[in-house]
Amino acid sequence: MSEPFEPKIVAFVCTYCTYAGADLAGTSRMKYASNVRIVRLPCTGRISPMFILKALQKGADGVLVSGCHPGDCHFAQGNYHARRRWTVFRALLAFTGIPEQRIRFSWISAAEGAKFAELINTLTEDIRKLGPFEQYHELQKVIETQSTY
Amino acid sequence: MGIQEQYISEAAGLLASGAVKLVIGYCEGSTPDRRRPVFVRTPAEAERLMLDGACVANLSTYLITEGLLSDGKSVAVFLKPDGIRSINILAAEAQINPEQVVIFGFDIENGQARTLAGRKASDFTSVVEAAKAAGLSADLQKESERLVQMSAEERFEYWKEQFSKCIKCYACRQVCPMCYCRRCIVDVNQPQWVNTSSHTLGNFEWNIVRAFHLAGRCVACGGCDRSCPVNIPLRLINHRMAKEVLDAFDYYAGESTDQKPVLATFRQDDPETFIL
Repeated sequence: MSEPFEPKIVAFVCTYCTYAGADLAGTSRMKYASNVRIVRLPCTGRISPMFILKALQKGADGVLVSGCHPGDCHFAQGNYHARRRWTVFRALLAFTGIPEQRIRFSWISAAEGAKFAELINTLTEDIRKLGPFEQYHELQKVIETQSTY
Repeated sequence: MGIQEQYISEAAGLLASGAVKLVIGYCEGSTPDRRRPVFVRTPAEAERLMLDGACVANLSTYLITEGLLSDGKSVAVFLKPDGIRSINILAAEAQINPEQVVIFGFDIENGQARTLAGRKASDFTSVVEAAKAAGLSADLQKESERLVQMSAEERFEYWKEQFSKCIKCYACRQVCPMCYCRRCIVDVNQPQWVNTSSHTLGNFEWNIVRAFHLAGRCVACGGCDRSCPVNIPLRLINHRMAKEVLDAFDYYAGESTDQKPVLATFRQDDPETFIL
């Protein structure tokens, strides 16, 4: 019997809220799926859409972008700017056929350790159901196997 | 006197008086039904200018040529409403000083060029308003909806097929008045965000990134679509972005020279239905 599929998920989080929330989940000894790779950034406003594309390019099956709730941003406005950017970028990804279920966005504060653990667990299960993002990854495999490029 | 003769004599007059140093317009193209850009520097050369229904290119793209406007002198340019919107955006993004641009405005109706009154970007407010009221292209909307009806997999296959044709010639970037970055993100190699060779994944990334950078800035002049040697429907993807900013933020690109870029501003009550 084959092993169950373990999705690779990259989470881009801001250091002041979601990362602290993840920390809280850890210090509270909450268990969450180990499929997530957390990348800590100063603010959600720092999260470029290029990061999402790079994660997919390098083999991620799902991406989570998370930051402070509106009004809570350490830099006052970073998450508002990020929210507009995501609205547009999300529509673009959906239009080019990258499933919306694979690219998720959330607000998680430093006090929401439980929400973080729960979200990671649901996200992992959702992506496990979807299976690996073969459609995208096979494009990368073509590059690696064909010397003509 | 037709619009062509009128604009030729005005252009010659502006050049003779030294009010402008250059007129960017259209002249005879390689076939009878095409027009190519011409750069007129003397009153005598103004005779070469043409204006008719075949003048489709958005000439505002030449205004971002490095150093062109840095001497403070004015340049005259032939522009349709989409080109006038480009001028507004470039001015709003502090790329050009709109005072240095003299506009010969025209629109094409039933294959004929028609005069748009005004000389400065701010004179054309009503023209831009009319364009906004007319809405985004219905044809593109229809095609866009056809794609939205598909499943994500089918849409992916559709774009994969389209983008696999891309040869990364960057004609779309070169022709675009909005692509003025001195160092384009595809030319950045430390870190290298986008695969530079023209395999399908690299093409996918490049076209996604370009569409994203044009969100809320594209005026649908169709330059990229026309210049694409392999006929990728680039206008379609840009249309989708224009629709998104219109629906989500009530934003129409290029309304005025002081309109804030859509992604450089925000409202506290922006929609966020997708955020968990």
